[in-house]
Amino acid sequence: MYGAKSSSRSTGLFLTLCAAMLLLAMLSQQSWAAGPRGAAKSALAPLEQAMTTTAAQAQRVALIFGDVSALRAENARLRAADEQQRRQIVELQAAAKENAQLRQALDFQKASGHRLVAADVIGAGPDALTRTMEIDRGTADGVKPGMVVVTGAGLLGRVREVGPHAANVQTLADPESRANVYLSKSGLQGTVTGGPTALALDVQHAVGVTAADGDWVLTSGVGGSYPRGLVVGEIASITHRDTSTSDLAEVAWVNEPTSVSFVLVITDFTPS
Amino acid sequence: MRRIAALGVILALALVQVTWAPRLSIAGAFPNLVLVAVVGITWMQGVRAGLVWACIGGVLLDLTASGPIGPHALALLTTAYATSLWARNLERPNALHAALTACMGTVAYSVTLVLTDGLLGMPAMDAAAVARLTIAAAIYNAVLAPFAIELMRRLRALVRDAPQPT
Repeated sequence: MYGAKSSSRSTGLFLTLCAAMLLLAMLSQQSWAAGPRGAAKSALAPLEQAMTTTAAQAQRVALIFGDVSALRAENARLRAADEQQRRQIVELQAAAKENAQLRQALDFQKASGHRLVAADVIGAGPDALTRTMEIDRGTADGVKPGMVVVTGAGLLGRVREVGPHAANVQTLADPESRANVYLSKSGLQGTVTGGPTALALDVQHAVGVTAADGDWVLTSGVGGSYPRGLVVGEIASITHRDTSTSDLAEVAWVNEPTSVSFVLVITDFTPS
Repeated sequence: MRRIAALGVILALALVQVTWAPRLSIAGAFPNLVLVAVVGITWMQGVRAGLVWACIGGVLLDLTASGPIGPHALALLTTAYATSLWARNLERPNALHAALTACMGTVAYSVTLVLTDGLLGMPAMDAAAVARLTIAAAIYNAVLAPFAIELMRRLRALVRDAPQPT
Protein backbone atom coordinates (compact mmCIF):
# COMPACT_ATOMS: atom_id res chain seq x y z
CA MET A 1 0.00 0.00 0.00
CA TYR A 2 2.81 2.38 0.83
CA GLY A 3 6.19 2.72 -0.79
CA ALA A 4 9.43 2.89 1.20
CA LYS A 5 9.75 6.62 0.47
CA SER A 6 6.19 7.33 1.57
CA SER A 7 6.76 5.25 4.68
CA SER A 8 9.89 7.17 5.69
CA ARG A 9 8.06 10.46 5.03
CA SER A 10 5.24 9.35 7.32
CA THR A 11 7.74 8.36 9.98
CA GLY A 12 9.37 11.76 9.60
CA LEU A 13 6.01 13.51 10.00
CA PHE A 14 5.21 11.33 13.03
CA LEU A 15 8.51 12.15 14.73
CA THR A 16 8.19 15.86 13.92
CA LEU A 17 4.67 16.06 15.32
CA CYS A 18 5.72 14.07 18.40
CA ALA A 19 8.60 16.48 19.02
CA ALA A 20 6.28 19.46 18.51
CA MET A 21 3.71 18.10 20.97
CA LEU A 22 6.37 17.25 23.53
CA LEU A 23 7.76 20.78 23.24
CA LEU A 24 4.25 22.21 23.57
CA ALA A 25 3.68 20.07 26.68
CA MET A 26 6.96 21.22 28.25
CA LEU A 27 6.30 24.88 27.48
CA SER A 28 2.65 24.83 28.58
CA GLN A 29 3.73 23.22 31.85
CA GLN A 30 5.77 26.28 32.86
CA SER A 31 4.31 28.52 35.55
CA TRP A 32 4.33 31.57 33.25
CA ALA A 33 2.05 29.69 30.86
CA ALA A 34 -0.62 28.98 33.49
CA GLY A 35 -2.70 32.05 32.58
CA PRO A 36 -2.91 31.46 28.80
CA ARG A 37 -3.37 27.73 29.40
CA GLY A 38 -6.30 28.36 31.74
CA ALA A 39 -7.83 30.83 29.28
CA ALA A 40 -7.48 28.33 26.41
CA LYS A 41 -9.11 25.61 28.48
CA SER A 42 -11.92 27.97 29.50
CA ALA A 43 -12.78 28.48 25.84
CA LEU A 44 -14.29 24.99 25.65
CA ALA A 45 -16.21 25.35 28.92
CA PRO A 46 -19.46 26.80 27.45
CA LEU A 47 -19.62 23.96 24.92
CA GLU A 48 -18.97 21.39 27.65
CA GLN A 49 -21.71 22.97 29.76
CA ALA A 50 -24.19 22.79 26.87
CA MET A 51 -23.29 19.15 26.23
CA THR A 52 -23.64 18.26 29.92
CA THR A 53 -27.07 19.90 30.08
CA THR A 54 -28.15 18.00 26.96
CA ALA A 55 -26.79 14.77 28.43
CA ALA A 56 -28.77 15.28 31.63
CA GLN A 57 -31.96 15.86 29.62
CA ALA A 58 -31.26 12.83 27.45
CA GLN A 59 -30.71 10.75 30.58
CA ARG A 60 -34.11 11.81 31.89
CA VAL A 61 -35.74 10.75 28.63
CA ALA A 62 -33.81 7.46 28.73
CA LEU A 63 -35.00 6.94 32.30
CA ILE A 64 -38.61 7.34 31.17
CA PHE A 65 -38.22 4.83 28.34
CA GLY A 66 -36.16 2.44 30.49
CA ASP A 67 -38.83 2.63 33.15
CA VAL A 68 -41.59 1.95 30.62
CA SER A 69 -39.89 -1.13 29.15
CA ALA A 70 -39.15 -2.58 32.59
CA LEU A 71 -42.73 -2.13 33.65
CA ARG A 72 -44.02 -3.75 30.48
CA ALA A 73 -41.91 -6.81 31.09
CA GLU A 74 -42.74 -7.09 34.76
CA ASN A 75 -46.38 -6.35 35.04
CA ALA A 76 -49.10 -6.17 32.39
CA ARG A 77 -51.34 -4.17 34.66
CA LEU A 78 -48.92 -1.26 34.64
CA ARG A 79 -48.96 -1.08 30.84
CA ALA A 80 -51.99 1.14 31.00
CA ALA A 81 -50.30 3.58 33.34
CA ASP A 82 -50.34 7.13 32.17
CA GLU A 83 -47.17 8.21 30.33
CA GLN A 84 -47.56 11.74 31.51
CA GLN A 85 -47.72 10.64 35.14
CA ARG A 86 -44.58 8.56 34.79
CA ARG A 87 -42.75 11.41 33.19
CA GLN A 88 -43.79 13.65 36.07
CA ILE A 89 -42.68 11.04 38.59
CA VAL A 90 -39.27 10.73 36.96
CA GLU A 91 -38.93 14.48 36.80
CA LEU A 92 -40.00 14.83 40.41
CA GLN A 93 -37.54 12.15 41.44
CA ALA A 94 -34.77 13.94 39.60
CA ALA A 95 -35.82 17.23 41.19
CA ALA A 96 -35.96 15.61 44.62
CA LYS A 97 -32.47 14.21 44.15
CA GLU A 98 -31.21 17.62 43.13
CA ASN A 99 -33.01 19.23 46.05
CA ALA A 100 -31.44 16.74 48.44
CA GLN A 101 -28.01 17.54 47.04
CA LEU A 102 -28.64 21.27 47.36
CA ARG A 103 -30.01 20.87 50.88
CA GLN A 104 -27.01 18.79 51.85
CA ALA A 105 -24.75 21.47 50.36
CA LEU A 106 -26.62 24.19 52.25
CA ASP A 107 -26.30 22.25 55.50
CA PHE A 108 -22.61 21.83 54.81
CA GLN A 109 -22.25 25.56 54.16
CA LYS A 110 -24.01 26.44 57.43
CA ALA A 111 -22.11 23.85 59.46
CA SER A 112 -18.66 24.44 58.02
CA GLY A 113 -18.64 28.19 58.49
CA HIS A 114 -16.54 28.54 55.34
CA ARG A 115 -17.20 30.94 52.51
CA LEU A 116 -18.23 28.81 49.55
CA VAL A 117 -18.83 29.22 45.84
CA ALA A 118 -21.31 26.79 44.28
CA ALA A 119 -20.46 25.33 40.88
CA ASP A 120 -21.92 22.87 38.39
CA VAL A 121 -19.79 20.03 37.06
CA ILE A 122 -19.62 20.45 33.29
CA GLY A 123 -17.15 17.76 32.24
CA ALA A 124 -14.85 14.93 33.24
CA GLY A 125 -11.31 13.90 32.31
CA PRO A 126 -10.89 12.63 28.73
CA ASP A 127 -10.01 9.06 29.71
CA ALA A 128 -10.05 6.67 32.64
CA LEU A 129 -6.43 7.49 33.48
CA THR A 130 -7.24 11.15 34.13
CA ARG A 131 -9.22 11.71 37.32
CA THR A 132 -10.25 15.31 36.98
CA MET A 133 -13.45 17.25 36.42
CA GLU A 134 -14.36 20.63 34.97
CA ILE A 135 -16.57 23.13 36.84
CA ASP A 136 -18.28 26.25 35.58
CA ARG A 137 -16.65 28.75 37.95
CA GLY A 138 -13.32 30.49 37.47
CA THR A 139 -11.25 33.50 38.44
CA ALA A 140 -14.23 35.78 37.73
CA ASP A 141 -16.03 34.05 40.62
CA GLY A 142 -13.08 34.20 42.99
CA VAL A 143 -11.86 30.66 42.37
CA LYS A 144 -8.08 30.21 42.57
CA PRO A 145 -5.71 27.26 42.10
CA GLY A 146 -5.29 25.18 45.25
CA MET A 147 -8.75 25.91 46.65
CA VAL A 148 -10.50 22.96 48.25
CA VAL A 149 -13.59 21.49 46.54
CA VAL A 150 -16.27 19.64 48.49
CA THR A 151 -19.78 18.28 48.08
CA GLY A 152 -22.44 18.06 50.73
CA ALA A 153 -21.12 14.57 51.46
CA GLY A 154 -17.47 15.52 51.96
CA LEU A 155 -14.12 16.22 50.35
CA LEU A 156 -13.93 15.94 46.55
CA GLY A 157 -10.52 17.42 45.65
CA ARG A 158 -8.82 20.70 44.89
CA VAL A 159 -8.74 23.24 42.10
CA ARG A 160 -5.77 22.63 39.88
CA GLU A 161 -6.14 25.10 37.03
CA VAL A 162 -8.38 28.10 36.62
CA GLY A 163 -9.64 30.02 33.62
CA PRO A 164 -11.86 33.10 33.69
CA HIS A 165 -15.13 31.14 33.78
CA ALA A 166 -14.12 27.51 34.37
CA ALA A 167 -11.74 25.52 36.53
CA ASN A 168 -10.23 22.07 36.51
CA VAL A 169 -10.57 20.06 39.71
CA GLN A 170 -8.15 17.31 40.60
CA THR A 171 -10.26 14.77 42.47
CA LEU A 172 -9.02 12.64 45.37
CA ALA A 173 -9.03 9.66 42.99
CA ASP A 174 -6.20 11.22 40.95
CA PRO A 175 -2.88 9.41 41.54
CA GLU A 176 -1.26 12.74 42.37
CA SER A 177 -3.71 13.46 45.22
CA ARG A 178 -2.53 13.24 48.82
CA ALA A 179 -4.55 14.12 51.91
CA ASN A 180 -3.46 13.82 55.53
CA VAL A 181 -6.25 12.30 57.58
CA TYR A 182 -7.21 10.92 60.97
CA LEU A 183 -9.65 8.18 61.92
CA SER A 184 -12.74 9.19 63.88
CA LYS A 185 -12.81 6.25 66.32
CA SER A 186 -9.19 5.30 66.83
CA GLY A 187 -7.72 8.77 66.27
CA LEU A 188 -4.90 7.25 64.21
CA GLN A 189 -3.27 9.42 61.58
CA GLY A 190 -2.54 8.51 57.99
CA THR A 191 -2.37 9.59 54.37
CA VAL A 192 -4.99 8.99 51.70
CA THR A 193 -3.79 8.62 48.11
CA GLY A 194 -5.78 8.42 44.90
CA GLY A 195 -6.64 5.26 43.06
CA PRO A 196 -8.86 4.22 40.16
CA THR A 197 -11.50 2.39 42.16
CA ALA A 198 -11.00 3.04 45.87
CA LEU A 199 -8.82 5.45 47.81
CA ALA A 200 -5.77 3.93 49.49
CA LEU A 201 -4.99 4.80 53.11
CA ASP A 202 -1.67 4.36 54.85
CA VAL A 203 -2.45 4.33 58.61
CA GLN A 204 0.37 4.92 61.08
CA HIS A 205 0.69 2.38 63.90
CA ALA A 206 0.20 3.47 67.51
CA VAL A 207 0.66 1.45 70.69
CA GLY A 208 -2.57 -0.19 71.86
CA VAL A 209 -4.77 1.19 69.08
CA THR A 210 -5.69 -0.38 65.76
CA ALA A 211 -7.75 0.83 62.87
CA ALA A 212 -10.83 -1.19 61.98
CA ASP A 213 -13.41 -1.50 59.22
CA GLY A 214 -16.13 1.12 59.45
CA ASP A 215 -13.87 3.77 60.98
CA TRP A 216 -14.57 7.19 59.41
CA VAL A 217 -11.73 9.00 57.69
CA LEU A 218 -11.52 12.80 58.04
CA THR A 219 -8.94 15.37 57.00
CA SER A 220 -6.51 16.15 59.83
CA GLY A 221 -5.37 19.56 58.68
CA VAL A 222 -1.76 18.41 59.07
CA GLY A 223 0.43 19.95 56.38
CA GLY A 224 -2.07 22.73 55.77
CA SER A 225 -3.36 21.36 52.47
CA TYR A 226 -6.93 20.83 53.63
CA PRO A 227 -8.95 22.23 56.54
CA ARG A 228 -9.44 19.83 59.45
CA GLY A 229 -12.61 17.77 59.70
CA LEU A 230 -13.72 17.23 56.10
CA VAL A 231 -15.19 13.76 55.63
CA VAL A 232 -13.27 11.62 53.13
CA GLY A 233 -14.91 8.21 53.54
CA GLU A 234 -15.17 5.04 55.55
CA ILE A 235 -12.62 2.24 55.86
CA ALA A 236 -13.90 -0.62 53.68
CA SER A 237 -11.09 -3.07 54.36
CA ILE A 238 -7.80 -3.04 56.18
CA THR A 239 -4.62 -5.09 55.92
CA HIS A 240 -2.62 -5.14 59.15
CA ARG A 241 1.13 -5.29 58.62
CA ASP A 242 3.12 -6.31 61.69
CA THR A 243 6.44 -5.92 59.93
CA SER A 244 5.75 -2.36 58.86
CA THR A 245 5.16 0.92 60.69
CA SER A 246 1.81 1.34 58.98
CA ASP A 247 -1.29 -0.57 57.90
CA LEU A 248 -2.88 -0.41 54.47
CA ALA A 249 -6.59 0.27 54.09
CA GLU A 250 -9.10 0.80 51.34
CA VAL A 251 -11.40 3.76 51.82
CA ALA A 252 -14.93 3.84 50.44
CA TRP A 253 -15.05 7.43 49.28
CA VAL A 254 -18.19 9.39 50.16
CA ASN A 255 -18.19 10.88 46.66
CA GLU A 256 -18.78 9.02 43.42
CA PRO A 257 -17.29 11.44 40.84
CA THR A 258 -19.43 10.19 37.95
CA SER A 259 -22.63 11.05 39.83
CA VAL A 260 -21.52 14.40 41.24
CA SER A 261 -23.19 17.26 39.41
CA PHE A 262 -22.86 20.08 41.91
CA VAL A 263 -19.86 21.11 44.04
CA LEU A 264 -18.77 23.79 46.48
CA VAL A 265 -15.42 25.58 46.35
CA ILE A 266 -14.09 26.76 49.71
CA THR A 267 -12.79 30.24 48.95
CA ASP A 268 -11.64 31.37 52.39
CA PHE A 269 -9.14 28.60 53.07
CA THR A 270 -5.64 29.10 51.76
CA PRO A 271 -3.54 25.95 51.57
CA SER A 272 -0.09 26.46 53.02
CA MET B 1 -15.52 23.16 3.71
CA ARG B 2 -15.07 19.43 4.31
CA ARG B 3 -12.15 20.12 6.61
CA ILE B 4 -14.21 22.54 8.67
CA ALA B 5 -16.96 19.93 8.92
CA ALA B 6 -14.40 17.31 9.96
CA LEU B 7 -13.03 19.71 12.58
CA GLY B 8 -16.57 20.16 13.87
CA VAL B 9 -17.01 16.39 14.11
CA ILE B 10 -13.74 15.93 16.01
CA LEU B 11 -14.67 18.77 18.37
CA ALA B 12 -18.10 17.18 18.93
CA LEU B 13 -16.49 13.79 19.61
CA ALA B 14 -14.06 15.33 22.12
CA LEU B 15 -16.93 17.07 23.91
CA VAL B 16 -19.06 13.92 23.95
CA GLN B 17 -16.07 12.04 25.32
CA VAL B 18 -15.71 14.32 28.35
CA THR B 19 -19.42 14.82 29.03
CA TRP B 20 -21.50 11.83 27.90
CA ALA B 21 -19.01 8.97 27.66
CA PRO B 22 -18.10 8.80 31.39
CA ARG B 23 -21.78 7.87 32.01
CA LEU B 24 -21.13 4.68 30.00
CA SER B 25 -18.27 3.61 32.24
CA ILE B 26 -17.68 -0.15 32.53
CA ALA B 27 -14.97 -1.47 34.87
CA GLY B 28 -13.69 2.08 35.29
CA ALA B 29 -13.17 2.58 31.54
CA PHE B 30 -15.27 4.44 29.00
CA PRO B 31 -15.06 4.76 25.22
CA ASN B 32 -12.38 6.98 23.75
CA LEU B 33 -14.30 8.32 20.77
CA VAL B 34 -11.50 10.53 19.47
CA LEU B 35 -9.13 7.56 19.48
CA VAL B 36 -11.63 5.43 17.58
CA ALA B 37 -12.06 8.25 15.05
CA VAL B 38 -8.28 8.56 14.61
CA VAL B 39 -8.00 4.81 14.00
CA GLY B 40 -10.81 5.06 11.42
CA ILE B 41 -9.25 8.06 9.66
CA THR B 42 -5.88 6.31 9.50
CA TRP B 43 -7.50 3.24 7.93
CA MET B 44 -9.53 5.22 5.44
CA GLN B 45 -7.38 8.20 4.54
CA GLY B 46 -3.87 7.07 5.36
CA VAL B 47 -1.25 7.78 7.97
CA ARG B 48 -0.75 11.48 7.18
CA ALA B 49 -4.40 12.35 7.67
CA GLY B 50 -4.43 10.13 10.75
CA LEU B 51 -1.46 11.94 12.27
CA VAL B 52 -2.88 15.40 11.57
CA TRP B 53 -6.28 14.57 13.08
CA ALA B 54 -4.60 12.81 16.00
CA CYS B 55 -2.79 16.06 16.74
CA ILE B 56 -5.97 18.14 16.50
CA GLY B 57 -8.11 15.70 18.48
CA GLY B 58 -5.37 15.28 21.09
CA VAL B 59 -5.01 19.02 21.67
CA LEU B 60 -8.80 19.27 22.08
CA LEU B 61 -8.67 16.51 24.70
CA ASP B 62 -5.75 18.26 26.41
CA LEU B 63 -7.88 21.40 26.62
CA THR B 64 -10.44 19.46 28.63
CA ALA B 65 -7.91 17.82 30.98
CA SER B 66 -5.76 19.32 33.69
CA GLY B 67 -2.03 19.71 33.23
CA PRO B 68 0.04 20.62 30.19
CA ILE B 69 -1.26 20.73 26.63
CA GLY B 70 0.25 17.99 24.48
CA PRO B 71 0.26 14.58 26.26
CA HIS B 72 -3.05 13.39 24.77
CA ALA B 73 -1.99 14.60 21.32
CA LEU B 74 1.26 12.67 21.68
CA ALA B 75 -0.66 9.57 22.80
CA LEU B 76 -3.02 9.80 19.82
CA LEU B 77 -0.08 10.29 17.44
CA THR B 78 1.33 6.92 18.52
CA THR B 79 -2.13 5.39 18.06
CA ALA B 80 -2.31 6.70 14.48
CA TYR B 81 1.23 5.60 13.69
CA ALA B 82 0.71 2.12 15.19
CA THR B 83 -2.50 1.77 13.17
CA SER B 84 -0.64 2.78 10.00
CA LEU B 85 1.95 0.05 10.59
CA TRP B 86 -0.89 -2.49 10.59
CA ALA B 87 -2.78 -0.88 7.70
CA ARG B 88 0.31 -0.66 5.49
CA ASN B 89 -0.22 -4.09 3.94
CA LEU B 90 -4.00 -4.03 3.73
CA GLU B 91 -6.25 -2.21 1.30
CA ARG B 92 -9.49 -2.47 3.24
CA PRO B 93 -9.96 -3.50 6.87
CA ASN B 94 -12.51 -6.05 7.90
CA ALA B 95 -14.21 -5.80 11.29
CA LEU B 96 -11.54 -7.91 12.97
CA HIS B 97 -8.70 -5.72 11.70
CA ALA B 98 -10.55 -2.60 12.80
CA ALA B 99 -11.16 -4.04 16.26
CA LEU B 100 -7.59 -5.27 16.67
CA THR B 101 -6.06 -1.95 15.61
CA ALA B 102 -8.35 -0.06 18.01
CA CYS B 103 -7.27 -2.47 20.76
CA MET B 104 -3.58 -2.06 19.92
CA GLY B 105 -4.01 1.70 19.48
CA THR B 106 -5.55 1.98 22.95
CA VAL B 107 -2.58 0.17 24.48
CA ALA B 108 -0.16 2.45 22.58
CA TYR B 109 -2.20 5.47 23.74
CA SER B 110 -2.11 4.49 27.43
CA VAL B 111 1.57 3.57 27.41
CA THR B 112 2.49 6.87 25.73
CA LEU B 113 0.31 8.84 28.13
CA VAL B 114 1.91 7.22 31.17
CA LEU B 115 5.44 7.66 29.75
CA THR B 116 4.78 11.30 28.83
CA ASP B 117 3.39 12.04 32.29
CA GLY B 118 6.52 10.46 33.76
CA LEU B 119 8.74 12.52 31.46
CA LEU B 120 6.95 15.70 32.48
CA GLY B 121 7.39 14.87 36.14
CA MET B 122 3.75 14.09 36.81
CA PRO B 123 3.08 11.21 39.22
CA ALA B 124 1.94 8.02 37.54
CA MET B 125 -0.84 5.66 38.52
CA ASP B 126 -0.18 2.27 39.99
CA ALA B 127 0.97 -0.02 37.14
CA ALA B 128 -1.61 -2.71 37.90
CA ALA B 129 -4.43 -0.14 37.84
CA VAL B 130 -3.18 1.31 34.55
CA ALA B 131 -3.04 -2.19 33.04
CA ARG B 132 -6.57 -3.01 34.19
CA LEU B 133 -8.03 0.25 32.91
CA THR B 134 -6.14 -0.05 29.64
CA ILE B 135 -7.45 -3.56 29.00
CA ALA B 136 -11.01 -2.47 29.77
CA ALA B 137 -10.70 0.58 27.50
CA ALA B 138 -9.05 -1.49 24.74
CA ILE B 139 -11.98 -3.94 24.72
CA TYR B 140 -14.46 -1.08 24.77
CA ASN B 141 -12.79 0.71 21.85
CA ALA B 142 -12.31 -2.55 19.93
CA VAL B 143 -16.05 -3.22 20.08
CA LEU B 144 -16.84 0.29 18.86
CA ALA B 145 -14.22 0.55 16.10
CA PRO B 146 -15.81 -1.66 13.39
CA PHE B 147 -19.13 0.19 13.70
CA ALA B 148 -17.37 3.57 13.73
CA ILE B 149 -15.32 2.75 10.63
CA GLU B 150 -18.40 1.50 8.78
CA LEU B 151 -20.25 4.68 9.74
CA MET B 152 -17.34 6.83 8.59
CA ARG B 153 -17.16 4.92 5.29
CA ARG B 154 -20.86 5.49 4.63
CA LEU B 155 -20.61 9.17 5.53
CA ARG B 156 -17.65 9.50 3.20
CA ALA B 157 -19.54 7.82 0.37
CA LEU B 158 -22.48 10.12 1.04
CA VAL B 159 -20.27 13.21 0.85
CA ARG B 160 -18.60 11.92 -2.33
CA ASP B 161 -21.93 11.24 -4.04
CA ALA B 162 -23.41 14.57 -3.03
CA PRO B 163 -23.79 17.01 -5.96
CA GLN B 164 -21.01 19.57 -6.03
CA PRO B 165 -21.98 23.25 -6.09
CA THR B 166 -21.50 24.81 -9.51
